[in-house]
Amino acid sequence: MTWNRVAVIGAGLIKMGELFDQSYEQMAKGAFDAAVGSVDQGFDPSLIDAVFVATQRGTLWGQEGIGGNTVPWALGLHGVAATRIENACPTGSYAFRVGCMAVASGVHDVVLVIGVEKMRDKSSEEGLLARAAAGHPIYTRGESAPVLFAPFATRHMHEFGTTREMLASVAVKNHHNGVLDPYAHFQNEVTIEQCLAAPPVCSPLHLLDCCPQTDGAAAILITSAERAAEFSDRHVYVAGFGVATESPYLHEKQTFVGLPATTLASSRAYAMAGIGPSDIDMAEVHDCFTITEILDIEDLGFVEKGRGGIASIEGETAIDGRIPINTSGGLLAKGHPIGATGIAQLTECWWQLREDAGPRQVKLRNGFALQHNVGGRGSGVSVVNILTRNP
Amino acid sequence: MTCWIRGIGVAAGGWRLPTKDVNAAWGRPGGRGQSAVVAADEDALTLGWAAATRALDAAGMTPEQVESMWWGTSRAPFGEGPSWTHLAATLRLGPTCGGTVISGSTHSGCDALAAALDALESGRLATTLVVMSDALNPAVGGSLEAVAGAGAVAVIVGSTGPGARITGTGSVWAPVLDRYRGDSEDETRDAYDGRLFREQIFLPLMGKAATGSDAGRWSIPDPDGRMAATLGQRIGAAEVVSAPSRSELGDCGAAATLVGSAAALGATGPISLLFYGAGRATRFDLDVDSAVPGAERSQVDLSGGRLVGYPQVLRSRRRLVTTGESVEMAVPPGSAMFVRGNHETLGFLGGRCTKCATINIPPSIHPTCISCGATEFDEVALARTGTVHTFVINQTMPQPFEAPLPLIVTDLDDGSRIQLQGATDGSDIAVGTRVEAVLRRYTIERGVPIYGWKFQPITTRAEVAS
Repeated sequence: MTWNRVAVIGAGLIKMGELFDQSYEQMAKGAFDAAVGSVDQGFDPSLIDAVFVATQRGTLWGQEGIGGNTVPWALGLHGVAATRIENACPTGSYAFRVGCMAVASGVHDVVLVIGVEKMRDKSSEEGLLARAAAGHPIYTRGESAPVLFAPFATRHMHEFGTTREMLASVAVKNHHNGVLDPYAHFQNEVTIEQCLAAPPVCSPLHLLDCCPQTDGAAAILITSAERAAEFSDRHVYVAGFGVATESPYLHEKQTFVGLPATTLASSRAYAMAGIGPSDIDMAEVHDCFTITEILDIEDLGFVEKGRGGIASIEGETAIDGRIPINTSGGLLAKGHPIGATGIAQLTECWWQLREDAGPRQVKLRNGFALQHNVGGRGSGVSVVNILTRNP
Repeated sequence: MTCWIRGIGVAAGGWRLPTKDVNAAWGRPGGRGQSAVVAADEDALTLGWAAATRALDAAGMTPEQVESMWWGTSRAPFGEGPSWTHLAATLRLGPTCGGTVISGSTHSGCDALAAALDALESGRLATTLVVMSDALNPAVGGSLEAVAGAGAVAVIVGSTGPGARITGTGSVWAPVLDRYRGDSEDETRDAYDGRLFREQIFLPLMGKAATGSDAGRWSIPDPDGRMAATLGQRIGAAEVVSAPSRSELGDCGAAATLVGSAAALGATGPISLLFYGAGRATRFDLDVDSAVPGAERSQVDLSGGRLVGYPQVLRSRRRLVTTGESVEMAVPPGSAMFVRGNHETLGFLGGRCTKCATINIPPSIHPTCISCGATEFDEVALARTGTVHTFVINQTMPQPFEAPLPLIVTDLDDGSRIQLQGATDGSDIAVGTRVEAVLRRYTIERGVPIYGWKFQPITTRAEVAS
């Protein structure tokens, strides 16, 4: 494969949360400033020659569609080449892939990938939950977001004996990590007992099995590996990426104990990076619901199929565990501002590979970190990006 | 020409409302009995579908064999719109099937039967389906509210037997006002004095209509719970066979008389049916030569029902509404999506790949087979029974959804897999539960009812049938 190697030279995000006091544009500026400020040797924004904006929907704050110009204009990047990218929950991670391809192909030199999402300008009833009425008038009616993952929990429990306690252990771990992450939406620990006692949202998922609705923004600056030394002292490179798709309908799933698109996407990313799951030192994976993280760690090859719940409750995925997962707090604690989510995960991977993660720092063995999102109606789009500090 | 009722099926609304609950809400003392009311996702069309499906089963007929369908209901669910075609599509009737929906009063059920008999008399066809169903929306606080029942009955009527032979009929009328709903009104009300109606309208007209039959068994509608007994005495009825269903369900309007006779059609001998509505009274005389198939299971099909309170019924009738906006469907009911999709959605159809036999659901969104990628399909009727593969119960949704809402992924018995809402609260659903798809009203969107299928555990009723 002939492509220019891509380096990450800066990354940053804003504190996630219900950011009622910030506009979409102000959130973008906050993330952009954080990324620019993170560049070791300083950064002149006029060097940016392309912007990829990751925003999944504008309808949550009154915009029918958002072009590529809104964010660059707000950032003062007048005239720059830009577009918006939308690809369900992996919107941010997919925009990163597109940015990487722009650099790898040699079309662009210095690229900004920025994810911005307003999730809370509207109430839940008029916002995210309203999707229950979207889609097919009969065959998908009533499908709010938890419905896309809860059937997997039902079946995983049925086939493997996964318990609600095992699901809860994912929330407990990610909330704990979130307390260590100043950017996380939630800054509180939760217990297994609290998870079990939380009200049902979409049985078998209860409130603490679900990620919150979070406003947020994150930005990442990339360039070719050749130029990385102009900006950065400790380089992080893109080792590989992979994308795969499957049916957008639950009734066409061949299995409800895994997401084959994730397995396929990760196999492509591993092949591109020339590594396997055991080479990964830490991973930021899509934990929109507790069951999703359990499916992810199985489908990404970190644990055997069916063992995700056991591995979680036994601490294998903790910061000091065998394979640390979602050290940032994950979607469950850090939040899930959809377009920003993937970029924020990549920012955590960048920090970890540069050993800047403070109390969340994992022990690096092989120098690879993996980032993953899955989404789309019926979890039909899976995106995996792998970063490395290895030259 | 002699005609026979060759099969019968009945259905009742899924809820039961105690009369005393309604009375208590309005400060009226006491109140005996209960009435059947429709669940929030049922109406005259879904009840009609259930009764017709059972009648076809009982008569051993396929939907394609139905040459015409005559449907009588006081109030068609699409006031002015495609009520008949929606019922026909959900029953999977053939493309050349004729008939119509007759509405406007509780006499419409009788009118549907009369129209079917006239059609048979013409000699152009030999087999008809007659459906009578009602699910009244009674005026809040009015006298109808405590007595109106929701029920349906369907019969297969043909020019050959066996079954119940129709031997005679008689009819009278007078231009009088009684039960009423104006053209711009949503609720049906009593526009008359109860005593006046009883003494000057119902009993005299029905007495005249009854003249000419000496059957011992009578099925008689009973608007207030006492008139049928009084009339029965006056005309010398040995038995008012409709009394048990009246006390179980209330007054089922256009369906009342035939629902009331359903169980009795399982026993041989003469029986007379009296219909009433809007100043018209009609008698049909039957002689049951051999038990009408389906009659034996009618009592089971009418029994049960979930006991609910008055506020829940008011909510389901949209008389008690929350403030705030309701979330609309992505596309309006008149959109091209429904024009393209209604046939396959209402008919519960799939596209079977001609190469690998995988069933793709729904056909219109699958130009290529999900298994093998081939592009030729045969349209097939999906199996209505299957086994739950996985499910959830959604507890958090905005208006107009009501929690708990089960969403169930089921492996149908034809090998296909489909996701549908549950018709129950989900407490009776588990992985492996045997379920059947039943017709329900999913929502009323911009004033238009939207119908589709929901899963419920295969009930005792269904096992009786199989």
